[in-house]
Amino acid sequence: MPTPDRQQRLAALRDAIANIERKPALAETRARLIGQGDGFPVLGGGLLQEVFTDEKRNAGAILGFALGQAKGLLTPERLAVIFLQLADEGQKLGLPYGPGLLSFGLDPDALVLVRTASMHDLLWAVEEAIACRAVAGVVADIGSHSKLLDFTASRRLSLRAAATGGSIFLLRYGENREASAAHLRWRLSPLQSGRRRYDAKAPGPLRWKAHLEKGNLHRTEFLLGWTDHGFATIADEPTTGAGFGHGTPLPRALPAAVADRLLQAG
Amino acid sequence: MLSLPLWPTDYYKRADPSLGTPLVLYERIKGGLRLSAIDAAARLAGLKIGQNLADARAMVPELSVLEMDRGMLESGFAEFADWHSNASPLVAVMRDAEGFGDLVLDITGVSHLFGGESAMLETLLERLRVLGYSVAGAIAPSIGAAWGISHFAPGHVVARPELSEILDRLPIAALRLNPQQLAGLSQMGLTHVGSLRTRPRKPLQARFGVSLLDRLDQAYGDIEERMSPRLPVAERYAERKFADPIGLLDDVLMTTHDLAVQLAVRLEAEGLGGQAFHLFLYRVDHKVMALSVNSARLTRDPFHIAKLFSNRSERLSGEYDLGFGIDMIRLAVSSVSPLEGVQLGNFSHQGAAEDLDQLSDRMSSRLGAMAVLKTQLLASHIPERAARLGPALVARAAPRPANWHMPLRPLRLLPVPEHVAINAEVPEGLPASMIWRRDRYRIEKASGPERLGAEWWRTGQRLELVPVPPPKPVEPGQKAEPPAFVPDLVPFDPDATTRDYYIVEDGSGRRFWIYRQGFHRPDEPAVWFLHGLFA
Repeated sequence: MPTPDRQQRLAALRDAIANIERKPALAETRARLIGQGDGFPVLGGGLLQEVFTDEKRNAGAILGFALGQAKGLLTPERLAVIFLQLADEGQKLGLPYGPGLLSFGLDPDALVLVRTASMHDLLWAVEEAIACRAVAGVVADIGSHSKLLDFTASRRLSLRAAATGGSIFLLRYGENREASAAHLRWRLSPLQSGRRRYDAKAPGPLRWKAHLEKGNLHRTEFLLGWTDHGFATIADEPTTGAGFGHGTPLPRALPAAVADRLLQAG
Repeated sequence: MLSLPLWPTDYYKRADPSLGTPLVLYERIKGGLRLSAIDAAARLAGLKIGQNLADARAMVPELSVLEMDRGMLESGFAEFADWHSNASPLVAVMRDAEGFGDLVLDITGVSHLFGGESAMLETLLERLRVLGYSVAGAIAPSIGAAWGISHFAPGHVVARPELSEILDRLPIAALRLNPQQLAGLSQMGLTHVGSLRTRPRKPLQARFGVSLLDRLDQAYGDIEERMSPRLPVAERYAERKFADPIGLLDDVLMTTHDLAVQLAVRLEAEGLGGQAFHLFLYRVDHKVMALSVNSARLTRDPFHIAKLFSNRSERLSGEYDLGFGIDMIRLAVSSVSPLEGVQLGNFSHQGAAEDLDQLSDRMSSRLGAMAVLKTQLLASHIPERAARLGPALVARAAPRPANWHMPLRPLRLLPVPEHVAINAEVPEGLPASMIWRRDRYRIEKASGPERLGAEWWRTGQRLELVPVPPPKPVEPGQKAEPPAFVPDLVPFDPDATTRDYYIVEDGSGRRFWIYRQGFHRPDEPAVWFLHGLFA
């Protein structure tokens, strides 16, 4: 059983070694935690996060997850989020849409889109962008696998992010996992939305299921919902198929009758 | 004025030194192959421009023959002209006779740098002769006179007092006249410019048109003739000449930084900043390479400018070709406006917005201006029109209407809506399932429709609210009514362009934005598209 004095010395030595190696200490992720209750932790800047999803058709969900975190990093001093994509993947994955960003709660003026011709340029642009003091987060949407994006590249990016204090989100698709130096790796999938008031048939507030594959947080499974104040954990997965038919505040025949009346009036 | 009468053949010979002499170029004119350019040896052998190619071959059996490519000659001459901006900032190609061969330089206030006008002419001619061009030149107070003198009495430096004396002795061809005018004048026995000038003007105008008098006045400098310079004039620039040509890209970039420092000192003294910077690399073999970068904000920060050029140079690694080296580099600034004195360098205090603008400058300089984009919201209800992506360099946040309300929109929009196949149709409503990109989706939840009509006023179509009444039969004794005015436009067809949007969610929570094109018709299957992905 080591004495407290010895523990302190060990910790100091570890820090010294980490400093020599210019390597963020192992407890990097925990050090970046701003708030942590029982729910989803509020993660500060300076992290490289990989957000994986199994299929490209979930592109909307992972963009929402990354932007939701990046939105929390925006301050008057760090006033922009940079979104990067290869120019030929725009049709496959879709481009961030200004009015949609407004609906999501992000000012479209705060998002700069960069479309590069090659992966080489894209990685250059990520590094260039994260080095800027005014950038809160960099979201790189990478639809294809590339040899350029290897461990060395992710190590560079994680060091850059740790040094400048902005966060990098790499949006990746598929089930392959390569070695990477990311601080956190999420596996994300969309979750059936919550109930919308007065209209149970309509899609409600959006939800995700996030599984932490790599990293050091107090939990690994999160069921997340999106509120005006950011992420909120939800208790349980809603039963599938619920919502058709019940919960309408008016008897079903009445809206139909009103609609009929309106039609006649028009 | 520099005149290169043998430019076409000289150009081909320089491009391919193995070409033999005599060299002629031919063109297909009126169905026959005729000579359009000949070199000095061919002229000595008695060949003439306009001669039949077969005749020429018979006269000179050892002739080298090439087809003439005017486009290539003209672009080659344009580069040649740009290169001459190392002698004078105002250089133009004279296009009166042909697209190549005549070069105008405005040397006002420049000649003292070369040690006087005649020394300047000698320098310019000599350096071209070394390269193997046949060139003649003259300096005169007017463009017309310089053209005539360089063609018919080359090598003269003419000042205004002796201008008319020299011009009077030149043949009338020195006036840049067209062949009909020349033929008419020689029929009248007028062979010299002097005899033309002393004639009464009215009869001349009546017979040869006003252009003859214009040419005459232009030559004597009585009316002004303008030249259109090829490169914009940059008032503020810094340049460096090299005793020996340099070739390495790193050297060029280092010099660029030095020049940027010089330029910054000058701009700071004047209290100015620039937004567009141009780097001209003058190659030894008479070509100019120009690189331009733009900055979102006024700047004179030499580190920033040098960084932009080094990013820009990475983009052209393939097309970077210095030939035999560079002997002069010039850095010019344009779009100049007043800029207050600010601290630059290590102790600078910059706001976040400046930082961000510099970042987009740097990224645009390497990736291209159209690669770094910002969203501009427009007041339109058509989804693809409501947001426009524009270069971040120029995009400024537009004021948004105060009561901006937009219904729920997807986080990602597909640039081109994709067709979805419906395999279980529900009449007049949303299908129960759909197939998109070869995957089947069962629609569990949906909201909609949100009907969006097309903007008929944009499509150049006519909105028909009231049908046009048929013309009434004309009653006897009364005038026929004029028909109602109907603009000559296609009637607007709401059926083809209206969309009904639905937000749909499948069993595992993916949410899509799909729409039906047109109205529902019982007899035709509806056409559905997927337009966006929700978070």
